[in-house]
Amino acid sequence: MSDRYLWDKSGEPDPEIQRLEKVLGPLAHGDTPLRLPEEPVAAPSPRPMPSPRPSRPPMLWQAPRLAWAAVLLMVVVGLVWELRPYGWRVERLAGTPRIDAVDIGRAGRITRGQWLQTDAVSGARVKVGRIGVVDVGPASRLRVLADRGSEHRLALERGRLEAYIVARPRQFVVETPTATAVDLGCAYSLEVDRAGAATLTVVAGWVSFEREGRETFVPAGARCVTHVGRGPGIPYFTDAAPGLKNALTLIDLAGDDVPDSALANALAATRREDAFTVWHLIERTSGRDRVEVVDRLAMLVTPPQGVTREGVLGGDPAMLERWWNQLGFGAAADWRRWRDAGPGPTGTP
Amino acid sequence: MTTTAALVRAARDGDREAFGRLYQLYGRMVHGVLLARMPRDEVDDLVQEVFLKAMKQLGSLRDPDAFGGWLAMIARNAVTDARRRARPTQELNEELPAPEMGGERAEAEAVLRLIRGLPEAYREPLVLRLVEGMTGPEIAERTGLTAGSVRVNLHRGYALLRERLTGNA
Repeated sequence: MSDRYLWDKSGEPDPEIQRLEKVLGPLAHGDTPLRLPEEPVAAPSPRPMPSPRPSRPPMLWQAPRLAWAAVLLMVVVGLVWELRPYGWRVERLAGTPRIDAVDIGRAGRITRGQWLQTDAVSGARVKVGRIGVVDVGPASRLRVLADRGSEHRLALERGRLEAYIVARPRQFVVETPTATAVDLGCAYSLEVDRAGAATLTVVAGWVSFEREGRETFVPAGARCVTHVGRGPGIPYFTDAAPGLKNALTLIDLAGDDVPDSALANALAATRREDAFTVWHLIERTSGRDRVEVVDRLAMLVTPPQGVTREGVLGGDPAMLERWWNQLGFGAAADWRRWRDAGPGPTGTP
Repeated sequence: MTTTAALVRAARDGDREAFGRLYQLYGRMVHGVLLARMPRDEVDDLVQEVFLKAMKQLGSLRDPDAFGGWLAMIARNAVTDARRRARPTQELNEELPAPEMGGERAEAEAVLRLIRGLPEAYREPLVLRLVEGMTGPEIAERTGLTAGSVRVNLHRGYALLRERLTGNA
């Protein structure tokens, strides 16, 4: 037996090896673009699989009648199958997670409208369709709002979840009492306190945090805190200077009347990589405050050609976007394309 | 910088396409590592879990060039975790009687069962070579093993598999 063909498929092909390759090849992983595998068909309480056709057609039926009956049966079964709730698999990680107050045991399924709740010592993993998983921490309560097709939506009332999503942007959305987190393809944690304030920390990829038209884009390594009645705050990297973080909290809570000292302290504590934080401050400030913010951003990242100080101070959206594109987080048009497109086929740029 | 290292660094920075490319490059390897240990119908789900875990832990990978070996380790650990989670009746069904050798799928499953019965060092390279269609150099590159080690295990594993297939073991 030649070792060469076995090693690197060179030399004289070995017929026995070729035969095994032919037999075993169908079991291989398909070479397709990143796409999550099918969810397991088996469930703790499996629904009976519909039979596509009668197993023993009556011998007395004529062929045309039999054919129509089979077609009718398939249509009815197909309708019933399509109307069934899909649901997502939920696995116990610790303690006794409950779906609508019922202990799930090792695993269960949660469908649209149902609540998943964990106590102080419980945790659960939700397999979100084909696009990822959500780990639900202790003392959490969430509800499935949509679980079909390309729409995957949860509402986190309180507690903590960690989401690991591999899908086209905007296919996974988590609503909180104070803002909505829209996945742009990533891993993140989201914590909601009893008052409804939320803290989003992004591990990989991007998340858009939105409320009433105010958008905040949070990249990997960054955090955004939402405040009751105010929506998303200014995002910042988790390793930003404490002075910056503290000042941003004051700015977030101050609303339109930003204390001078808070803004000055925030800007003084920014590094080059905090430019995205400063960029977000532009829209949150006005007048003299905005001048200070824009000037600071210009020191951190030179505005690209065509972006003028006056234009940015005036809130020119195109100029703001072009400056964003200089910050090194990818083009704003990319995430904006997904927002406009919404769920569904991605198409090409 | 190797392609893998560049992709890992980009993926860490949130580049989804880079992570997708890593999936394309390493999906077969992960699938094969799992298939060498688990029933076929449980593998696809676990491939997903492995890549999700890898994405979550990417920041902890110190050497991006070691991505393949690191990912293979995650895959092997995922099998252990899955077995712990499974009920006893869902364990690898090595005790089930071999199916009749009729039909290509039945034959494939029977051969796979034989491979899973080989010493552990031989299973992965054989599955990666004969099922996933990877060459020996590709197996070495993707799993982080040395080419020499993969070559020896492929050779010895195949010799043993031949004996068992012909009933001469």
